[in-house]
Amino acid sequence: MNDHVAVVDLGYGDAGKGTVVDALCAYSAKRAVLRFNGGAQAAHNVVTEDGRQHTFAQFGSGTLRGVPTHLTRYVVVDPLALAAEAAALGNPFELLTVDGDALLATPWHRAANQRRERARGGDRHGSCGMGVGETMAYAASHPGAPRVSDTLSRTRLRRRLAAVESDLGPAGVPLDDVVDAFRAFGRTVAIVGPTYGERLLREGPCVFEGAQGVLLDEWRGWHPHTTWSTTTFGNVSELCGSFTRIGVVRTYTTRHGAGPFVTEDATLDLPEGHNATGEWQGAFRVGHFDAVAHRYAVEVAGGVDGLAVTHLDVPERCPALRICESYTIDGRPWTRIVPGPPRDLGYQEALTARLHQARPGPLTRPDDWAAAIENLLSAPVEIESYGPGSADKKLLNRIP
Amino acid sequence: MGSGRWSTDVYTAADNYRRATGASAFAYSDSGARKAHPALDPKGVTERESRDSDEHPFSTPIAVLFDVTGSMGGVPRVLQTKLPQLLGLLTRKGYATDPHILFGAVGDATCDRVPLQIGQFESDNRMDEDLARIVLEGGGGGQMTESYELAMYFMARHTALDSFEKRGRRGYLFLIGDEMPYPKVNPREVEKFLGERTQPISTEELVVELQRTFDVYYLLPTAAGHGGNRDVLRRWRGLLGQNVLELDDLDAVCETIALTVGLGEGTIDLDAGLDDLVESGSAFSATVGKALAPLQRGGVVRRGTLPIGNAASGNERL
Repeated sequence: MNDHVAVVDLGYGDAGKGTVVDALCAYSAKRAVLRFNGGAQAAHNVVTEDGRQHTFAQFGSGTLRGVPTHLTRYVVVDPLALAAEAAALGNPFELLTVDGDALLATPWHRAANQRRERARGGDRHGSCGMGVGETMAYAASHPGAPRVSDTLSRTRLRRRLAAVESDLGPAGVPLDDVVDAFRAFGRTVAIVGPTYGERLLREGPCVFEGAQGVLLDEWRGWHPHTTWSTTTFGNVSELCGSFTRIGVVRTYTTRHGAGPFVTEDATLDLPEGHNATGEWQGAFRVGHFDAVAHRYAVEVAGGVDGLAVTHLDVPERCPALRICESYTIDGRPWTRIVPGPPRDLGYQEALTARLHQARPGPLTRPDDWAAAIENLLSAPVEIESYGPGSADKKLLNRIP
Repeated sequence: MGSGRWSTDVYTAADNYRRATGASAFAYSDSGARKAHPALDPKGVTERESRDSDEHPFSTPIAVLFDVTGSMGGVPRVLQTKLPQLLGLLTRKGYATDPHILFGAVGDATCDRVPLQIGQFESDNRMDEDLARIVLEGGGGGQMTESYELAMYFMARHTALDSFEKRGRRGYLFLIGDEMPYPKVNPREVEKFLGERTQPISTEELVVELQRTFDVYYLLPTAAGHGGNRDVLRRWRGLLGQNVLELDDLDAVCETIALTVGLGEGTIDLDAGLDDLVESGSAFSATVGKALAPLQRGGVVRRGTLPIGNAASGNERL
């Protein structure tokens, strides 16, 4: 079956994956939305025609349309944040399945994450403070890291959580209270085995909803200002043999938190509806459309079959907005960020240093933003978005 | 991105899960749903599969479909609270190896919006989720017929059982209700609710086809609207012979199904099964004994392990 669609963000996140996933779910019936990276730190805004608004974190962005969500083994599941999100949605647990193999984020991971960011002082990485990266890091060095299926057995769960507490230090909450809450999670959500995802894929067209963006990828982003998560199509390829790759970009570039941002321009008048300055992430930054970085994102993502361009209504309201097609470094043009060897953080770190030196080259302003972006990223625009609701989307009928 | 919009403290979370769990067992239906939950909608479904796996190498498929129309009164709600115990009963005493259970619901295709709901074969508590998603139609006409034939059509043509394909062992299908099937499968209803074309087929022919892959039982709770109705019993006995069971006490539904499977698998005889019930503290041995009397087949009784060995079943109900 080739009618599955994967949606990834080609920038630093916030390009509008949620609204694109929602539009895909509105456009034709979908069996399920599968999350394949990240965790509770995702924040995907959806506004439906009837005015419902929700910022999706662990539930998929098709939830308001009744499309089930499956959290695959690549998702870091946060039972505490999930409870709160579920309550905000009216507890639609019947729409949720969770792979028993997925890692659990705990209060101790969160506390350790926040301590680590605080210790960085002015040199923060831009973490969300939810402990997602901490959970991934812990699991990498601890084979017995708590996983979702552990919540089905009190004994095993308690043993594993106690180990986390002893390894990472206290988080100001008694172990047994966390055990209780996680057990309640285990009783409430449908915990499924490794073949469940394949079954969903057989049963009907699915949407893979990415979190964060390719420029934040753990291996391909500007190290160390990255997320501990594979944000490219990599995980989707592990889960699914064949799918349509949709890359999402805004007509301008944004970044939440620290890290290189060549085209940043704080003078642009671009009010942000749903993204505010976060305690852990820092300010929400805006800049001109960074075609150089986005081309790099397309390249390291392994190419895209189509683009979704959001905020196409903005250039008209912001006459100063431009497109940056090349950088300048030491007076010389820099037109292509060359991808390094796979998993070479030294190379990525050097890129980060170089990007800090780079300045935007000549800026241009196109008449037709969608066409210009299509041309710059060498992929057809399949979805045009002119506003937050699905009614503001134009699907160009070439995707399933 | 940027999250943390919601309180994430342990106590709020635990409390919310508790409240969510304490919601009506038929949360989906009670929330006003008037169409089949996507997970249970048979339309366009190629097949529901019961497949062997490394964990469950000798699957035994067991399907339980119950009537959710008005004449059944509170029966579906009682079933819903009882049926989650079925897996435990089957595995605890080893009545069936690696049971895979599917739940579904039957209504009336001539007047209902949701005449057929079919879950998946599951070997863990996911089947309970399917139960919670069943819409209780509550309607149904007064003509003492429901679309059991449509349900049987689905089970005959849209299931794939490894137990049958690999080992030639039939699955078990339990229909729980209090009315008769229509005389034939109506192609228009098949098209409307399953999304495929078919020829008309008499219910008699269909039952023969279905019995190729399933041992089919009809359970008639005497508490239901037409409980004990002679015409209903006669009709089903004409179709299924002795596999029509009257059940005095609905609370004994799981025990009845479990023992029926045990009898069918040859892992127990009736007396041993009833002894097991007494031993496990169940109050229903008399009820179950009465219901299962027609199945007292005598003859071959194999007590103990199945020929496939002593490997522990992968099922664990936590």
